[in-house]
Amino acid sequence: MPEVPDWFRPVAEYMLREGLPETLRLAAIAVTASLVVGVLLGTLMTIKFRPLQWLIRLYIETWRGLPILVTVLFIYWLPDYSVGPFHIQLNAYMSAALALSLWGSAQVAEATRGAVQSIPKEQHEAAAALGFGWVGRHSFVIVPQALRRLLPPMVSLLVNIIQNTTIAFVIGVNEFLQSGNRQFENLTTQTGNGHPFTIFGFVLVVFFAISFPLTLLARYLERRLV
Amino acid sequence: MRILASFEWSFIWDNREQLWEGFKNTIKAAAIGIAGSFAIGLVLGAVRAHRIPVLSQIAVVYVEVIRNTPILVQIFLLYYGAPELGVHFETFTVAWLAITIWGGAFNTENFRAGFEAVPERLREAGYALGFTPLKTFLNVTLPIGGRIALPSSINTYISVLKNTSLMLVIGYPELTSVASNIQAITFRTFEMFAILAAAYLVIVWTLSALIRLLEARLALPEAL
Repeated sequence: MPEVPDWFRPVAEYMLREGLPETLRLAAIAVTASLVVGVLLGTLMTIKFRPLQWLIRLYIETWRGLPILVTVLFIYWLPDYSVGPFHIQLNAYMSAALALSLWGSAQVAEATRGAVQSIPKEQHEAAAALGFGWVGRHSFVIVPQALRRLLPPMVSLLVNIIQNTTIAFVIGVNEFLQSGNRQFENLTTQTGNGHPFTIFGFVLVVFFAISFPLTLLARYLERRLV
Repeated sequence: MRILASFEWSFIWDNREQLWEGFKNTIKAAAIGIAGSFAIGLVLGAVRAHRIPVLSQIAVVYVEVIRNTPILVQIFLLYYGAPELGVHFETFTVAWLAITIWGGAFNTENFRAGFEAVPERLREAGYALGFTPLKTFLNVTLPIGGRIALPSSINTYISVLKNTSLMLVIGYPELTSVASNIQAITFRTFEMFAILAAAYLVIVWTLSALIRLLEARLALPEAL
């Protein structure tokens, strides 16, 4: 066992207590919102109505095409404004969550469209024969089958979103990288040695320890389910 | 909409020189990053596909570490962490090096998949004609596998370009960081977002269209 230097313990404790939960919460919010909005938009896109398809296509290509940082900055820069009685004011945390959700929902929408279209048309016909309308057909027959095919890419999406939460660093959210950076700056001013390699190396190792098992899970699911 | 009514094109025009400089810096870092990730992907993709001992295992570790950690943390390690080990990088060096390392890892997987998709019997035919393993790779595996890998590798280049925006954190004056500085002084949010969106989306959408075109043009005959 290599010896852990004295300065490291409080630094790591702060990062794991303050930074890591913030990262995981941000990722959880973004993944949930991405799934809900993305599955809805992706399913709607299979309706053969051109203007609607174009509109969703524009949404997908815009939020997927922009660097996430640009979206984060744009939402963060937006001035406060009022819509009727609602006063809308986004703080850094909400801006980051919204930007990640826009990006994630675009990814999910595209994947869902493909998965829904890959369900054979006999399934639609059989459901229709049982008296289901469009909404019932999709909610109870088509989309549940598509979701199964979507599982592996969704685990990969989770990995991507967890990593992309670090972009919230730029607007000052105290996620894991930020918490490490604050400790690095504190140590530098207090002792003159910030130990950047150890601290950011620790950030790297923790992210790897979270992401790698999920990546393996995604690969396993892909082999099992397809 | 009060916000849109106050949108002023002249504001973008007045800052055109700064923004143009930023755009050129983005392209400069992205060009090196794309060329570098192409080279790494080609070499390590071949190493992985041919299961060359030791090198192949090193390539796996490199690919998994880079793909399973945030690129922003990798940038921090290069910019702030490396000096602790006695290695000092210029800002511009970190800008192109970080995206090269990152893109190289993703591209290794693209090329590996492409090379592995080339049927074994084609390589055997190369050997039967008296080609050395290297000649077989260059004349058989590379042209066919490279073609298969091209669309996914262009996707990686798109991401490499988009990741140049993260160099804002180390103060490399690329487009996003220039626009962000102008916004911080003037609060011209919509003008700055408009110019950023236009610049990135034009490039990304053009490259995406190119992928679709290539996929149709380069599709291999069914009988392969």
